[in-house]
Amino acid sequence: MRERVRSIYEFIQDNLYLNRPDMTVGDKSFNSALLFSLLTALNRGKELIIGEPGLGKTTSAEYIAAMTYRLPLGLIWASEVSGHPEQTEEKIIGRPDLGRLNQGEEMVVWSYLAQLPIKIVDEINRLPETKQSMILDGVDRGNWEYLNDVIINEEYCLFATANYQDRGTNTLIAPLIDRFDVLVESRHPGPDLALVIGMKDKYENILRNPEYEREFQKVLLERRDYHEKMQLIEDLCDRFGDYMERELDLKMLSRAERKEIRGCMQGLPLDLDANAFLRTVISELSFCYKYGQKRSDEHCEEGCHYTGFLCHRIKNCISNRFPTSVRTYSQSLAWLAGDEGVGIEHVKAVLPYAMAHRVQWKDDYVSQKQVSNRRDPLQIYVAKEAAKEVSKRYNEQSQHIKNALAVAYQALSGKDLKPIEGDHPVYAEIKRDIEEVT
Amino acid sequence: MINPFEDFREYPYKKKEIPLDRIVRAKEKIMDEIVEGYLKLVEEEVKDLVWLVEHSRLVRAYSAAIRTVEKLDYDIDDIEELCLELDREGRIPYLISGPAGIYLSALCNNAGEENIRLRLHELKRTFHFLGYRLPQGKTLILQGDVGDFIGAGLSGGKLVVEGSTGNWAGAGMMDGEIHITGHTGRNMGEWMGGGEIHVEGYIGGIGKSIRGGRIYQQGNLIRPYDRTTR
Amino acid sequence: MIGPRGRKKKGKATASGTMENEEHKYDLMLKDIWAKVRTKHFFPEMPNPTISDSMDRVAMETKSKQITLSQPFIEEAAKRLQPERVIEALLDHGVAHYTYCPWDFHTHLMLYQEAKKVLKDKEMAQKSTDYFMDVVADTHCFKEKETPISDLYCHMDRGILDEAIHALYQRIWGKDLSVQGYEEISRKLSRIPYLDRKPWPDSIRRFSKIIQGLLELEKKSGTLNQPSPMGQNDFGRYTEQELDQGLKEFAMSTGNPGSFSEVVTDFEEELQEAGFNTSSGMGFGPGSPLDADILFYMKLAENYSLPIKRTPIEKSGSLYPVSHSPWELGKPFRDIDPWTSFGKIMPAITQIWERREGDTFGEEEGTPNCIVAIDSSGSMTNPRQQLSYAVLGAACASDAYLRNDAKVAVYNFSDAQHGGRKTLDYTRHRKQIYQSVCHYFGGGTRLDIKDLDSLQEPSRPDIFIITDMQITNLEALISYLNGHENRVTAVHIGENRHVMQFKRSMGIRKNISIYSVQKKQDIPKIVLGKIREYFRSVS
Repeated sequence: MRERVRSIYEFIQDNLYLNRPDMTVGDKSFNSALLFSLLTALNRGKELIIGEPGLGKTTSAEYIAAMTYRLPLGLIWASEVSGHPEQTEEKIIGRPDLGRLNQGEEMVVWSYLAQLPIKIVDEINRLPETKQSMILDGVDRGNWEYLNDVIINEEYCLFATANYQDRGTNTLIAPLIDRFDVLVESRHPGPDLALVIGMKDKYENILRNPEYEREFQKVLLERRDYHEKMQLIEDLCDRFGDYMERELDLKMLSRAERKEIRGCMQGLPLDLDANAFLRTVISELSFCYKYGQKRSDEHCEEGCHYTGFLCHRIKNCISNRFPTSVRTYSQSLAWLAGDEGVGIEHVKAVLPYAMAHRVQWKDDYVSQKQVSNRRDPLQIYVAKEAAKEVSKRYNEQSQHIKNALAVAYQALSGKDLKPIEGDHPVYAEIKRDIEEVT
Repeated sequence: MINPFEDFREYPYKKKEIPLDRIVRAKEKIMDEIVEGYLKLVEEEVKDLVWLVEHSRLVRAYSAAIRTVEKLDYDIDDIEELCLELDREGRIPYLISGPAGIYLSALCNNAGEENIRLRLHELKRTFHFLGYRLPQGKTLILQGDVGDFIGAGLSGGKLVVEGSTGNWAGAGMMDGEIHITGHTGRNMGEWMGGGEIHVEGYIGGIGKSIRGGRIYQQGNLIRPYDRTTR
Repeated sequence: MIGPRGRKKKGKATASGTMENEEHKYDLMLKDIWAKVRTKHFFPEMPNPTISDSMDRVAMETKSKQITLSQPFIEEAAKRLQPERVIEALLDHGVAHYTYCPWDFHTHLMLYQEAKKVLKDKEMAQKSTDYFMDVVADTHCFKEKETPISDLYCHMDRGILDEAIHALYQRIWGKDLSVQGYEEISRKLSRIPYLDRKPWPDSIRRFSKIIQGLLELEKKSGTLNQPSPMGQNDFGRYTEQELDQGLKEFAMSTGNPGSFSEVVTDFEEELQEAGFNTSSGMGFGPGSPLDADILFYMKLAENYSLPIKRTPIEKSGSLYPVSHSPWELGKPFRDIDPWTSFGKIMPAITQIWERREGDTFGEEEGTPNCIVAIDSSGSMTNPRQQLSYAVLGAACASDAYLRNDAKVAVYNFSDAQHGGRKTLDYTRHRKQIYQSVCHYFGGGTRLDIKDLDSLQEPSRPDIFIITDMQITNLEALISYLNGHENRVTAVHIGENRHVMQFKRSMGIRKNISIYSVQKKQDIPKIVLGKIREYFRSVS
């Protein structure tokens, strides 16, 4: 199964989304946008893709979606929602069946976005804030409501693209942006690959098949129970998948196989170092010596003992979605790499992308980093630098931290042990956990 | 109630210790005790933050210091480190040179080692009363300039100063030797009853009440006067 | 035993096939062991190491994070120890330098600075720093990781200092490294808390003091400059960016141009060799000696960078439909959107348009050029002796304008009428600006209004003036500023009656902002804030 997933990655990389590798895990190089899109598709994640216009933000997501979920590209295009101020709930989620409405019967015609497991919102930051709130629930739990009717997606993933701030863009509201698991940039591939892309005929696309697309649309438009519909869609996906296997000599993934893969991923344990390291990171992003925890409306004091840590450089408190995102994507990455467990390397690889959009850095910290030589956009670069710093601190005292965690377990289990002291927020937090219980 | 540290249940939390950890820990412990001893001495002897040089006070302070240091297990490295601590403005909030010197002398006199070398030339401050009552069999070498009352009450030991001293060097010494490679201040050898002082450099002034002992300058005997020096 | 200091003469070349096989064998070994070492040290971001057969003086070297091991050294050491363990020990050592000590260039400079305070000699301080870092890195490795470093040292040929250090290792690691003697020195050295990062400045001072005698011995015998068997901890290990960042942090931590330049001047050659370039206009390069004081202010000012100005958005005045909201009884009908309402007028179905004022691009503000007027009279701090808040503030302001694509002119004045003045015309050349700003006359205080006026432009540049206001012809300055529409930021150092006079005269002017500086934190913050405001609104 792993080999098939890798083949899908390599196929897209070599034929569809041409770009440079920009990250290394183990001895393998990956393009971050493509890798994280693939992992998002596999583990039902939510990804925010940023980048300059025309650099493949939407197309990368479309290709991954098509090949992982065995859906023809034309259908995915039809299901995409584009962010513009005049979007309405009826265009995004569903509308009343007008014929039946005239007869006095309420029946919902669901949009393709709501029904299909693949959700792509193009230029999400161009949606007004009211519309962003509207899709929050759907994005968060796969829960779509309209006119007292509801459908719940069993399996879904979300790709949202955003250009950089320009005249027509709004800010992504904080509750929405926190729901994204990862933030990646779709970069310029360099002049050589750009020319190769330019030489391609944009109308030729191997992932399209109008005949199948019509069949899919016919099923989606039927007035039928959602679960029955999804079964029919899956049958169509099987047929389309077989067709693509004949055409491309590439076997894609069925729903059952994706479920199996997710099972394998979720079963991968975090080793103790990865576990302790993640706790160290979370402590630096949530701790406040003076006020108990970080809060956006409370400001750090100069001369605080913990000025050397990330807590002094951020404004907000990291959410609980962050460790979930890191864990899920680290497990996915470890599975893809063929490792038996999640190690610190996987966590370090995922961390900046899970953190970049969730952390609000203080202006002076950002302005120091702004002028540094870098290849990443500022958000991701600052997150990478922060991750490196925490990694260094962890490297220095990993044994001590693990000891502290082990002692904490014993203390909470009833043994008479004092918490281990140390000069890092993680020790303070461990101590607090023990003291507040005992 | 969930135990959030469940993942570390099996982790053996005995940490690896190397001899460095034990050495540093032991050193920190002994230094804490030594510093505590000094602060206690200062608190008892310098109630108004003014310390007058009187014989009875000296004797009392020295006795108190000896009583403290006798209980401690230290070596010459600890004594040198105390000098550094006294010079820094770290855990010792104030340095009063007299009691500090008495305390250091008590430490030197009570130390197990017979030969003690203190590197003082890097320090910003000077200490008084170093070598106070240095007993027989002990050699104390002070590298750098020192303060007043060096070798006061010397009791048979050998005190070498590789630098200059302040005033009252060798005051009240009974026995032993003081060798000074640099200069001395005034009132050198006042009240001395025995022993020898050898000075290579300039002598600021010699004490008026010398009851015994000898003073040499650049190898020449200058006290008591012999027929050639008068 | 390995040859002196790890050196080995190359043996006769065997058949090329055999040599290639050997290289291939070591390459494969290195690959496996590197994977193990990387995991052990939690995956440091270092490129894959290589093995070189042309290095015979030292066991390894690191250039821009790339570790290169010496094949002759490995072969020689392999006579006593398995080659895998030799390679692992060398990699552990190299990686620990990267991940633990010194970790970054700033720490390296800080350690050197402390060592030099004690030893007062550049080479001895460098050597002491190298050995200190080796002790810290190796001890950290020994304690925290499973490492064969101690086995490697057991069989290594050593000089006097190496022997003393290995005697120390015997004591603090509890391992026999076949060293005899050095009891006193190892005893003293063993008391230092190497693994506690916070007291490192104090620790290296003590370390240097204790080994001073041995260093002097080596210096006399002429062996001080020879690298230690494990290689030198030179600046080549850092990338250019790390060097730059390190200098910034070092400028910030010393806070004193004298301390900064004392260290940096020592390393002028080494920095150039390490590839630290002239792109920041610092004047490295043939025939261009380093001005460490200017470099200090350049690096220190970089710690107070300004964010980049954004183009302002203006309201267009017209209303545009933006989004929908449900219609309620009582709301006007005219905003109903019939299409989204499906032709029905009923609650939950009917939708009305929400309208909002549109945005449009305003006239682009741009960034005016700036005249930086700085007082360098006797009452002001000499920037080469102590940290001058005036120079720092002027530097931050200059950088802010440069970063926003503007030009900066400098008018540095003391007693202008008697030659105490320096004018620099508009330029974007950072070093020239800093040279003009850092210049110190130390004379009287009288500026020449004509000099200031000569820098005026039709586009009305901003004026940034830093002074303690103890200017003899302050009235002339006040009168000049009153008569011009330039936006002025006036920063005064300290408080005095001249400042009160200036404030009284200038306070009512809308285009003039006055700030006070009482402590170091005031200048960069105030300058940043005010310029940000400027950039957002056009007066």
